[in-house]
This record gives sequence, structure tokens and C-alpha cells, in this order.
Amino acid sequence: MNIFFIGITLFFISGFISALFNEKYKIIVLSILNSIASLLCLMPAVNVLLGTQGMNKIFDFNRLFGAVNFQIDMLSAFFIIIICVISTLSAIYSKGYLQNYIDKGKNINSHLIFFPILTASMLAVVTCQNAMMFLICWEIMSLSSFFLVIFENEKKDVLKAGIKYLVFMHVSVIFIMLAFAILSNEAGSFNFSSFAGVLNNSEYLKNIIFILFFIGFGTKAGFVPFHNWLPDAHPAAPSHVSGVMSGVMIKTGIYGILRILALSGTPTKFISYTVLIISLITALYGVMYAITQNDIKKLLAYSSIENIGIIGTGIGTGMLAMAYNQPVIAILGFSGAVLHIINHSLFKELLFLSAGSVYTKMHTRDIEVMGGIIKSMPKTGLLFLIGAVAICGLPPLNGFISEILIYLGMFKSLSIHNFSMLLLMLFAIACLALVGTMAILCFTKAFSIMFLGMPRSEAAENIKKDNGISMIIPMIFLAVFIFLIGIFPDYAFSLILRPVSIVLGGMQFEASEFMNTVWVVKIVAVFAAGLLFAIVAASLLKIKLTKNRISMHETWGCGYNKPNNRMQYSASSYVSPFLSMLTPLFKKVFDIEKPRKLFPESSHFSLQIEDIEEAYIIHPLVKYNEWFLSKFELLQSGNIQSYIKYGLIFLVIVIIGSLFIGK
Amino acid sequence: MLILNLLILLFVPFLMAGVIKKTKAFWGGRQGASVLQPFYDFKKLLKKDFVISETTSQVFKIAPVISIVTVLFASLFIPLATGSALINITGGLIIFAYTLSLGKFFSLISAMDTGSSFEGMGASREACFTSIVEPAFFITIASIMALSGNYTFESLQNVLSNAGSYGILITIFAVVVLFLMILIEGSRVPVDDPATHLELTMIHEVMILDNSGSDLAFFTWANSIKMFLISSLIAYMIIPQSIAEWAYVLCYLAVMFVISVLIGTIESGMARIRMSHVFEFIFIMSSLALVVLALVTAKMFGG
Repeated sequence: MNIFFIGITLFFISGFISALFNEKYKIIVLSILNSIASLLCLMPAVNVLLGTQGMNKIFDFNRLFGAVNFQIDMLSAFFIIIICVISTLSAIYSKGYLQNYIDKGKNINSHLIFFPILTASMLAVVTCQNAMMFLICWEIMSLSSFFLVIFENEKKDVLKAGIKYLVFMHVSVIFIMLAFAILSNEAGSFNFSSFAGVLNNSEYLKNIIFILFFIGFGTKAGFVPFHNWLPDAHPAAPSHVSGVMSGVMIKTGIYGILRILALSGTPTKFISYTVLIISLITALYGVMYAITQNDIKKLLAYSSIENIGIIGTGIGTGMLAMAYNQPVIAILGFSGAVLHIINHSLFKELLFLSAGSVYTKMHTRDIEVMGGIIKSMPKTGLLFLIGAVAICGLPPLNGFISEILIYLGMFKSLSIHNFSMLLLMLFAIACLALVGTMAILCFTKAFSIMFLGMPRSEAAENIKKDNGISMIIPMIFLAVFIFLIGIFPDYAFSLILRPVSIVLGGMQFEASEFMNTVWVVKIVAVFAAGLLFAIVAASLLKIKLTKNRISMHETWGCGYNKPNNRMQYSASSYVSPFLSMLTPLFKKVFDIEKPRKLFPESSHFSLQIEDIEEAYIIHPLVKYNEWFLSKFELLQSGNIQSYIKYGLIFLVIVIIGSLFIGK
Repeated sequence: MLILNLLILLFVPFLMAGVIKKTKAFWGGRQGASVLQPFYDFKKLLKKDFVISETTSQVFKIAPVISIVTVLFASLFIPLATGSALINITGGLIIFAYTLSLGKFFSLISAMDTGSSFEGMGASREACFTSIVEPAFFITIASIMALSGNYTFESLQNVLSNAGSYGILITIFAVVVLFLMILIEGSRVPVDDPATHLELTMIHEVMILDNSGSDLAFFTWANSIKMFLISSLIAYMIIPQSIAEWAYVLCYLAVMFVISVLIGTIESGMARIRMSHVFEFIFIMSSLALVVLALVTAKMFGG
């Protein structure tokens, strides 16, 4: 456990150390320090995950908040591994990505300082067992990621996105604080372990607390309707930061939910149904909007929302099964969810990094001006393709494994003889299938418009070569993991069961009931390996056999011989049948200037899809809020004496109030 | 028996395509080509050289292979002529559907790879239509699975015999859903016209405009195997398991024949519906899937 704290400390200070070095070596030093630090943190985590018991260490801050317990149990260990791996790979990748900015003379010190602090704070969040300390770490996490988001702070929309993110995080933390306040008041202690008893006392309290936590943690994770910060913050941040935020930081929200579940024991039916339904809506909403986006990072951000929805669906299935006392189904649901957490970290990080790799060459995120990039950047293209296939949940890659576990859980829940459960589960199965096929629509669009066809702009045509090794290696690493989990799901599954056992608490079940599932996972393993082998072998064989029998010609254009890049199908046209099908669910903003006159001088057409939640809920809310707050403008005199006066009045009220209300 | 299954898997799809063409010829008052013609076409295409667009990348070259490999792998989970699947596990439905989706993923991006607006159009339509077909398929099969409490494809065969009058109704609706799925996934009339000559109105055919030689052969073959696999599910639902093995195989082939003739007849008697109305047609399938769901819940919870 001491090693772990050395690791966290090293993370914390590594940014400051690397800032002292020369421009050239800064990021190299940061990468090396981060690699060492993550090795230090990984050792105890792996130990715990493979071993039998957790570790803990108690720090005594006696006056401030008493004894603070840091603990690595299997759930924490699982998250520590993801955080360390993804953050370190991002740090290595940032060498190539930030080079552009360094060449332009941008000062990257603040970025270097906050990046490892974000990692350190996430590590602290997943190990801390004390509410007060948890909130402090949570806040450091939010703030450091805020500073990372506003990296390009000279741009106005980046700042705007950053502030939106900050506001969302602070509204959400109020809910977490409130829940912790109620709990610690009831329990008389800030320690998580003391909460368990309180939570099990009354169902009513359990519901309220869980809903508060779900809003708080769900905002971080990106559940609809609290998702709104994601599609703004991710595009604003540098690619590797988006990768870390989407890959691991939003998962701390999921960690929070899982930790509360672990503490509270069997969830109530009401909550379980709520979580499942919200998650299904989240998944559908996320993928629906991901399809419409032409900004690649916005697309990936919405796809994160979708994946959070899938994770939530697994959690919801597990919770329902717990509520109906069906341990085998609960294991399937939770293990699908937990496996999807790591899977999503891997492929979303891979997608963000490869999108960033294209960004360094194109300097734009608009996919409509890309195209044909796979010829000039074959490695990036192939890696993006791997990520895209994986995120669609297709065999033989890792996304499929977690989805099939969730599906199995849902199918088995059909046997719980309960009308509402049956209906919900059948719809959930259909929803998940719909999300899967829509994800295919989304990522075939993203991949083919970015990488295939003819270059759609000069910038895309002028790309000379792929990015250097420091950017490619981290991506290859991620891709290897994607394949490993896809082909050896039985091993991954047995590892995942350990963190899941923490969430399940002490549920008992017969091993024989579970054999069927293990059997299915084994078959999937053999099947995936066979499929992968067959695909690779057949493809190579085909390319080899037909090498000399190919003659080249331009694309068939109904007899038209001079096809050009503007005659290709564009991203918007690719999704237009889909948009027309779901018209009422989008707010479309057209900007049309039709060709007039005999010799038209100018004309243009653009279509912007706005988030309906933002357009119809958030904007009106902000407007009413502004109107309401403007009533208090007279208080804002602008001179400091009156502000001190307000402070004094407030203090007096608090003191008098506590005299009356307190004991 | 394994060899019989393999032979059927490899040849019946060609025969079905041949029977469909023959039926259309019959209704058109023509003699028509032999039912083996699709197989001869396949053989001929394999021998031919390729003409490939300069725009394309490696994706275009490997997509047809992936398409055929995934379809063959998916067939492992479907009960064929012997009345049982090679791999019969819980979740077979999911592996089946997702493996087919992998093939679809690659055929979509290979169509986009040519940079042709026609193929983009086809890919866009195909992607969009599939996204509604699959949930309906899942609802239908999952409802039937819920009814029998068995989450393998085996559950399909018990419905007719075990669930009484509900079973008959459920079977009828499920068979219709699956049949509509054949029309949509197999790109047949009224959703798509494989024989049309106008690129603007096609879906599947337009996606493979630039494929030639064995690429074209593989795509066409994969498509007919896909139709054949869904037809096998229909056969599995309606043929009673109690009959002798040889009789089962005969019944199976007869069902395949009837489905092919039916598809051919529909194609002769109907025009392709307007592209903007295809959605409505697909939603018929979704609503029938919901009827299956309703019947299952009625059977399980109703009086």
C-alpha cells in the first residue's frame, strides 16, 4: 500500500518536475515519470486483483476529518489498472500531439502540471473510503480536468465549453455532498464502512440517497439528461485529454454508483427499474446524436454517452436481478457492465487518439473535408478501423464480449415470472440491438468518410506521411488489448468476477447454475479466435492469389469518366435517410441561401443538428435563471465594503441559526 | 449428417436463387435459365480477373472475403437440414446476428471506399434499413424464447406443438416476420429490385457496382446464404421434430422450395415500392414482431 502512495505522490509532482526541463525534454520526462508512477500503482492493484484480500492504510488527520481510510479492494484495483494504463499511454502519446503547439511557441507547462494531477486525483477517488476526503479528491479531479479542457484558451468556444463543464460538475457535486451529508449525519461518521448500516435501515432513505448519488455521479458519467457537458467538453480538449476523460474520468461516476451499490446491499425495485430505463434512454439518445455529428470528437463524445448507457444497462440488469434475488443474472449483468467499462476505455481511447492523429495533420475536426486518409496514414486508419469495429460490439473484438454478457443477463431475466420485468427486458433486448445497429451506421459513416474514398479537400490530399512512433505505439498497445480481450474472453471474464463480487456483496448461488454461462463464454472464445483466424487468413490469401489479376480503372459513374471528390457521398447524405426517419427527435437548424437570379452569384446550404435537451430544457432554464437573478442586481454594488458587510450578515445568521437549531 | 448439412449450406442457396429466377420466368411466360444458372455464374465469376477502382484501398479487397466468412461462421448457429444447429448455446441468437453485422460493416465500408455516389447511396440505405430490421428480429425470437424458457434456437421448434392455439398464432406471425426479413435482408422486391437496371433505385445491388470477378461472386453468394439461413429458421419452426430424419430433410428442402417460389411470385406480381415508403414496409415487420410479443405475454400471463 505504501508503494501505491509513492506512486500517487509521484504522479502529483511529476508535472512540476517536468515543467522545469527544457522544451524538448519536458514531455519525455513526464512520460517516464508517469510510467514509473503507474508501475508503482499497478503493482499493489494487480496484487489485490489476483490475490484474495484487499489492502488498506489509515491516515490520521485528527482535527480536520479524523481518520481517513484508503483502501484497495478488488473494485478499486480494477479501476486503478484502467486509470494507470490509459493515462500513461495518453502521456506518451501527447509527445507527438503537443509538438505542433510547442513549435508554435505555446506554453504547455500548465497542461503538463494538471495532466498527472488528474491521474493522481482519480486514483485517490477510487481508493478513498472517507466521504470528506472523497469530495476533496473529486473536486481536484473536476478542477484539474477543467484546466486541461481549456488548453486552447485563446479560443472563445473552448473557454465557453470549459465553463459549461465547470458549472455542470459543480451542480452535480452538490447532489453528492447532500447525499454524503445525510448519510454521515445518520451514521455519525464520514467513513464509508459506517454508511452500510444506515443504508440498510430504511428503504425510503435508500431510495433518496441512491437518487441523489445517481444524479451526482450520473452527471460525471454522462447519463441522459445530465449528459450535456460531454459533447462540448470533449471536442474542446486536446485528443489525449478527451481520451482520458472519456476513457476513464467519466468512469469514476460509474465507480461511485458501483461503490454505493456495494455499500447499500440489495437495491430496491424502484431504483433498479429507474436505472435500467434511464440507461436505455441514454444509450439510444447517445447513439442517435452520434450519428448526426460531423465533428469527429463530438461524435465520439456522444458515442461515450451511448456506451455509458450500455454500461448502465448492465448495471440496471444486475440491480434488478439482485432485487429479485437472482444471483446468476446479477453476475451476468454486472460483469457485462464492468467488462464494458474496461472495453470502452480501450476502444474509446484508441478512437480519440487516432482521431487526434488525423487532427495533427488536418487541423480540423470536420469529417466532411477528410477522405482518402487511409492511403497516406495507413497505420492510423487501420487502428481507427479496429476501434470502430470494437465499439460497434462486433465479434471477434472485445466490445462483443461485454455486450453478449449483458444480453445473456437480459435473456435469463426473461425467466423471472413477472409481467413488467418481462416486457421491460424484451424491450431492453430490442433497444440494445437497435443501439448496436445504429452504432454500425455511426461508425461506418465516421470511418468511411474520414479514411476512405477520395480526399474531400486539399488539406486531406496534402498529407504526406503517417505520424511518428510516439503516437502510434500507444495506439498499438490499446489495439493489442482489444484483441486479447476479444479472443480470450474466458480469462477476462474470470478476472472481472472479482470486482463484481464486491458489488454483489454476500449473495449466495449454486456453482452449477453458473456453469452454463462459463460454457457459453468458452464457446465464444473459440468462436472468436476461429473467426479472427479465418478472416485474417482468407483476406491474406485472397490478396496474395489475386495480386496479378487486377486492372485498375476509375469508379463506375454510369458512364461518366471523370468522377471527382465532390461527387462522393458525404457524411450528411449518408445519414439523411436516418434523419428523415427520426425527424421529430432532432432540432434541425437550416441555413439556406438558394441560388437566385439568372446567373446565381452565391448559394449555400448547411444543416446543424442541435441537442433537443439543450435547446428545449437547458436554454430556457438558463434564461429563467438569468431573469430571476437579475432581480438581485441591486445587491451588486461593485464596492468591496458592502460585500464584506454581506459576509458579516451571513456569518451572524449562521451563528444565531446554529444556536437555535443545534442541540 | 455433418456432410449433408455442409452440402446443403453450399449448394441450396444457389438453387434457391435459381428457383426464384425460374419462378419469375414462369410468371413472365418465359422458359428461363436452368435452376443451376446461379451456380454456373458463380463458377464463371471465380475465374475472371478484376477491375478495381483507383480510389479504393485494401478494405475494398478484403470486404467480400469477410462477408462470406462471417456468413459461413454465422451458419454454425442455425439449425439446418438435420434439425439441429452445430453449436447450440444460449445466446446463439446474439452471436448469429452480430457475426452477420460484422460482414455488413465491411460491405458498407467497402461500398463507401469506391467514392461513388451511387454506392454511398446504397450503403446509406442498407445501414438505415438494417438498423430497424434487427430489433424486430430480436423481439420476435426473444419473445418465443421467453415463452419456452429456453434461450437457444431450440425454443423455436417447441412453440407449435407445446403452446396450443396460441402456439399456432405465434408461429404464423413469427414466420411472417421472418419472411419479411428475408425480403428486406435479401434485398428482394418490394424493398429492393435485384433485377433493376437503374442505379438510383437499388439498395444492395448498387453497393456492389464496382465489384467484379470473385469479389462479386462472394457478395452474391453471401447474400443468398443469408436468405437461406433465415429460411432455415422458418423451416425449423414449422417442421415437426417427431418425424424421421430422412422425412425431415425432405420437408426441409420442400420448405426452402416453397419459400423460393413465394419470393419469385411476389417479385412477379408486385412492383418495388417507392424508396420513401420502404420505411413503412419495414415498420410492418416491427409491428408484427410486437404482435408476437403481445401473444407471448398473453399466453404467459393471460387467464
